[in-house]
Amino acid sequence: MNYKLLHIFRNTPFGRETFLQSLYFCKTINAFPVAYIPKTDKFLMYFSNDAVQIDLDHSYLKSPKTAKSHAKDLFNEMGIKPMFYEPKNFTASSLPDISTNFDYLCCPRSVSDLSSRIGLGHIGPKVRRIIKHATFPILITSPVFKPWKSISVFFGGSKNALNALKSGLKIAMSSGLPLNIYTLLEKKGETYFKKLIEENDLEEPVRQLSSQWHFYKKSDFDILLYDVPHDSLIVLGAYGHGMIKDILLGSKMEHIQSTVTNNLLITGPHCSISLQ
Amino acid sequence: MWMIKNWYKTIYHKLFHLDDRLLLIIAGSITGVFSGLAAVALRLSLESALEWLQPFHHYWWAFVFPGLGALLSSFYLEKIAREGAGHGVPEVIYSVSRYGGLLRFRSSYSRLVSSLLTIGSGGSAGPEAPVVMSGSSIGSNIAKLLGLNDRQRITLVGCGTAGAIASIFNAPIAGLVFSIEVILGEWKFVNIIPIAIAAVAGTEISQAIIPEQVIFNHQMFQVGFFDILPSLCLAMVTALISVLFTKVLRQAGKIAKNSFFSLWVRAVIGGCVVGITGMFMPVVLGEGYHFIQSMISGTFSMGGFLVFLAVFAKIFATAMTLGWGGSGGIFAPCLVIGSLAGIAFHSALLSLFPSVGCASQGAYAMLGMTGIISGVMQAPLTGIFLIVEITGGYETILPLIVVSSISSTMSHYIEPASFYFKELIERGQFLRPGTDARILSDLNISEIIETGFIKVSENMVFREFIELLKNSTQNFFPVIEDHTGEYKGIIQISSIRKYALDPGMYNMVFLNQIMDTEVITASLENDLQEVLDMMDINNMDSIPVVENDRFVGMISKTRILDLYRRELIMQTSV
Repeated sequence: MNYKLLHIFRNTPFGRETFLQSLYFCKTINAFPVAYIPKTDKFLMYFSNDAVQIDLDHSYLKSPKTAKSHAKDLFNEMGIKPMFYEPKNFTASSLPDISTNFDYLCCPRSVSDLSSRIGLGHIGPKVRRIIKHATFPILITSPVFKPWKSISVFFGGSKNALNALKSGLKIAMSSGLPLNIYTLLEKKGETYFKKLIEENDLEEPVRQLSSQWHFYKKSDFDILLYDVPHDSLIVLGAYGHGMIKDILLGSKMEHIQSTVTNNLLITGPHCSISLQ
Repeated sequence: MWMIKNWYKTIYHKLFHLDDRLLLIIAGSITGVFSGLAAVALRLSLESALEWLQPFHHYWWAFVFPGLGALLSSFYLEKIAREGAGHGVPEVIYSVSRYGGLLRFRSSYSRLVSSLLTIGSGGSAGPEAPVVMSGSSIGSNIAKLLGLNDRQRITLVGCGTAGAIASIFNAPIAGLVFSIEVILGEWKFVNIIPIAIAAVAGTEISQAIIPEQVIFNHQMFQVGFFDILPSLCLAMVTALISVLFTKVLRQAGKIAKNSFFSLWVRAVIGGCVVGITGMFMPVVLGEGYHFIQSMISGTFSMGGFLVFLAVFAKIFATAMTLGWGGSGGIFAPCLVIGSLAGIAFHSALLSLFPSVGCASQGAYAMLGMTGIISGVMQAPLTGIFLIVEITGGYETILPLIVVSSISSTMSHYIEPASFYFKELIERGQFLRPGTDARILSDLNISEIIETGFIKVSENMVFREFIELLKNSTQNFFPVIEDHTGEYKGIIQISSIRKYALDPGMYNMVFLNQIMDTEVITASLENDLQEVLDMMDINNMDSIPVVENDRFVGMISKTRILDLYRRELIMQTSV
């Protein structure tokens, strides 16, 4: 397969951790990482119905002279051929357009407390908007390089969750790593989810690739999070609530990413994942 | 909640599903109202800022105001709004031609604030480009909110532009014409009606909120047959000034960028230089509407030579403002330069031919404005309709047409790209509807690639390949490395004929011995135009696409032509 992951390279120790994570992800699933070394502190991504501007903090522009050689060293360390992205189009002279023609994008995670913001940069607030419009899953890395040994899919039965499940199965197929499914039983029973899998022709791949399907009661969400192995890639669908619902009820995705330190792969409402 | 959703869906389906014209008219008028409001807000804020600073203008240190304004403006744009530099009109045109009019929400207000700081403090710039950017962004975001497609979104961007220009100048026709001539670049029935309605909505909003504030009072001009020849000469003069203005503006930006000063220092220097120039020649400061009014009404008191100098001073001041870090547009400076050029020409005409019975100074100021607008923007219709509407001088329409046509043609001859298009043309991103470049850019390389090719191993013996060939219709066979799947080369049926006709070779030859490794390959990163150029240069009808050393598929000229025709039909049938 010819999958490509775009990574916005940051020439700092923290940037090295996230880049190593991207490289590890690509190596595990046989994808090709493409590094973009920003020359300006902002860039634009044009999706089908939105133009998202990513404002980078100054750490992304640090030591530009050594950025490429550092990135190359990390590529070589992982035994991957270095590939760099150069923007071709510019909306304004200091505002390059970054292609959205990728299969994965790596973003640092969104954070809410100041101490972690120092470490994680503020690209995060845009992550949700990218997830909302991207046709590809978004990899949100752990703060430090952490190889993962299994795949955990959070499956809640929604369209986005089905995409997440497909994405998890796909990764399990290409990596050969075990896959676990975690479901929180909110209103529906176990049979509903199993029937849903059947209706979407996923019964066979789930049977072949997943090692266990865990079901939890609605109130056991935090127990579910604790049960997920610390060295597992969590694949989940964005819940797709509107802003008002998120403010009133809280966002599950936000809760997950602020609670667990695992690597997260998030599929949004416009993701189209095929198992072919 | 679900009842409201159902009700909305039913109404939406019944009203808009079959024909989107009604939807565009309603959305266009809403866009016109909001962009009109944005324009009115900027105009009122500018008036307040200028009024507030007026008592301080007689102090010697007042020259720092434009410097401070430019500093605050660039700080706001760079650090708070985090917008790209520039006045924004090329960004709107770029977005229309490349991304279906997608614009960021922040653009709907960012340049209003930055231009208020620049112009309000005395910088030489106009508020029109910022309101165009704002209106277009409002249109784009309304389209986003309604989930409209690219074509509908582009129409709403046009509506936003028209509403903003119509509102700020109180000139609906000029808004409509500018939007179509400069921003969209295509006259289509489906666009014209919503844009016209948006322009009317913008004007109505402006008149409703500030009915007493007409930018220029309407005048009566007596223009006779003897003014035609001087008009021709004035057109040539304005064309030359337009070219000079465009070049100076661009050069000022380049000099500023190459200087060792930081962005903030540059803005202060540029602004202070404008402030100092303004102490000797106040006509260069701000947007200059009241100077234009006095020139049109014939009450402008400056002498002929000073007016001539003022033309260049205004060009210089605008270049220092916009090139060195200020924010704003060139519409108002064009009007000031044009009217100054017009009355300088009128003075020269009267001193050379004192007995000639030519029209008044005001009429020539009007002709000058038309000439500069048409020359700088290379938009003759905008030049004509704008000046007629804002001055009410319909009786000068004939010389206006003459001046506009000659000025735009001559400036186009000297400098083929207008001020708005130059940057985009240089970047190869000026893609007007219906042009080859636009159609090719709209085709996605991934939909053109033909896939499903049988790949063969580099270690395959030729006999096996012949067996494979018997049951295949492929003309190209990608050759790959056994273990890694890496692309190694390609076998073209036409080039292996000599081996195929000699059965003695069947067991002696391996595919890695006869494959073509020199064939140029394309990648998914290439634009279609680049792929076509590669095929032309290398005289190829098909080209392999290789990404990350893996064979992806083939692109053929036949397939490109098929999709080109489909896209052309789609773009021209709307």
